[in-house]
Amino acid sequence: MKFKAFLTDHGVNLLEKRFLQALDKMGKVCHLYLTRDHAIFLHNLLNGDGIQSIAQFRKEALFEDYRISSQNDDRIAFTIDLSLLHRALRSIVTIYTEFGGSHSSDAGSPTLNRLQIKLVKKLPPHSQQPMPFLTFETKGYKSAVIQDVPISKPLSRSDVLELQAALDMAQDLPRTLVQVPDMNQLQNFVDRMKHVGDVLSVSISRYGDLHLQISTSLITLGAEFRKLLVIGEQAQVPAGDDNLSAQSRTRRAIERGDAMSVQVSVKHFFKSLQCHLAKPDCAFYGIGQQGSCLTVVFQFFVPGTRQTDKSISLHCRLPVLDPGTN
Amino acid sequence: MKFDGGQTVHICLVSETEKRSDFGGKGMTSSVVDSESPDLVCELDNVQGMVDALTSVRWKRHQDAVLELSEHGIVLIVEDTGCLQAKVYLQRELFVRYEYNAQGRPRFGVSLGLFVDCLNTFCIPGHSSTIEFKYPGPDMQLLLKSTASLSACTYAEIRTRIPDTISWDYNFEPAGSTPINFTVKSAALKEAIDDLEWPGSSVQIILQPVPPSVTFKAEGHGDLQIDFMYYANMDLLAAFNCDQIVSHRYKYKFLRATTSNIPSSVIKDNRGSKVTIGRGGMLKVQHLVSVARPSTSHPHIDSAGYQQPSRIAYIEFFVKPEVDEENVYE
Repeated sequence: MKFKAFLTDHGVNLLEKRFLQALDKMGKVCHLYLTRDHAIFLHNLLNGDGIQSIAQFRKEALFEDYRISSQNDDRIAFTIDLSLLHRALRSIVTIYTEFGGSHSSDAGSPTLNRLQIKLVKKLPPHSQQPMPFLTFETKGYKSAVIQDVPISKPLSRSDVLELQAALDMAQDLPRTLVQVPDMNQLQNFVDRMKHVGDVLSVSISRYGDLHLQISTSLITLGAEFRKLLVIGEQAQVPAGDDNLSAQSRTRRAIERGDAMSVQVSVKHFFKSLQCHLAKPDCAFYGIGQQGSCLTVVFQFFVPGTRQTDKSISLHCRLPVLDPGTN
Repeated sequence: MKFDGGQTVHICLVSETEKRSDFGGKGMTSSVVDSESPDLVCELDNVQGMVDALTSVRWKRHQDAVLELSEHGIVLIVEDTGCLQAKVYLQRELFVRYEYNAQGRPRFGVSLGLFVDCLNTFCIPGHSSTIEFKYPGPDMQLLLKSTASLSACTYAEIRTRIPDTISWDYNFEPAGSTPINFTVKSAALKEAIDDLEWPGSSVQIILQPVPPSVTFKAEGHGDLQIDFMYYANMDLLAAFNCDQIVSHRYKYKFLRATTSNIPSSVIKDNRGSKVTIGRGGMLKVQHLVSVARPSTSHPHIDSAGYQQPSRIAYIEFFVKPEVDEENVYE
């Protein structure tokens, strides 16, 4: 089992400045799943009740000279502490950038300063048992630095298969997705809303309506965003619906089969919005078939364009609460 | 100011019709129960100002508040163990629209924390926050709705309850022919009261005419005395009225409630808070909170400390003194 690659400047920037802080909000520990073509950070795919998040990078988005081999179809997966990973990366980047990243030159002749990442087994201090680490290595002007991030034992063949199966399952997209109007505004709103109750009802219609509501015995608090961009199945707004209250409009849309509604934890919903730390260019919410989950899909553009960057993908699946638990 | 802290409140439980909600007796009484014309429909364009004003009387997590509606505006009243009462006066002039249709003065109870948390969701930074209040809703709820945008709308329905039938008024009366009061910079008052936390549970407030001064004195784990001398620092004490030595003790936790949550805007404006001692040592602390719409205020006017008087919410606290005969010199 071998993994060795060099992080590109773009990859360092993506991970250190954007994704790791967003993923850290999803949960401290995640699976890092490496395949021949992809590096994937996975939260809660094998254990049930938390928010699932899947951040997938094509190897070119992060690495160069990417080499992986394992007896399990060149797939390696392990769990890693994201805050440790982030700290190690931050620390190594300060040394790495002493040379101005990979675009450095020494006495006129270009030398390649590189940031290597690899899987190693080492004997930790005061231990007889070698332990697995994800190791970063680079050099600065006067120093070279190695950061070892402890990881779990690599997953067994059957666990990797299970992880792959869960990942395949989690790729199902809802039939209707609506674009979140302003993620900052929504995050602000939900941040305040979470003081009022724990369970959030989310309704999404084919007309492009997103309706959030918290309802307890003392208060009903809601927000409705209309005329949002719809991807997937859409429908015309029926005449006369404009004069209704948000609640009646949603109820009618559900009765017509043009909308779905699920209940999720406000905390999960808030967490899903924190993914905007990864600086996506837009976000879409949708409800899985038969109301199985609430999905949020983040979209990243190729810098300077409005074209989707297909080498990066991030989406979360929020578990649906049993209506009886409210 | 249209309200008088000492006035008798008309408790409007003698309404012509009583409506109960279908949900287990959480109904409310009201003088007018005609869903076509609610008792009150009003609109406010600075929700943050209202949040600030209400937050200043939120001294603990779970507090019941009573809202009283009238043609003059809305009064919110909170109370603690018969010793502390606070009122927030939101005059009708604060609202951009105020349509009052009730006979008498409808009163209803809400949870203050929930009400403030709910209002908070209506003030998202950088977004216009005009909000419409309507009372009562079909189940006697207080209905809130943002009216800023057609494509995005925030709404709330807050369940109300029947308020206690006892009058919550503390019947503040002047101590004598000359009022006994002083006006002090809000920040200084807050700082003094914050500092008094260290000695202990009870604080003595002494006003004396010669030399004109206010003394806060606490003895407990240690002794601490804070003096505001009128002539020594006239910036600090803007006004001082006292013709006799007056001294009363107040429980620290109640005294602290009068300044602990005054909004940072009040501290920043540092206008002045008025402290009055009434008959029997009843303490009244008054603050002013600006509810002016931020975009309409001009920087040069702000720097002069000028605010339209109509865009000010008045906040009053009443604290009963500790019963301690020895310390009363009247």
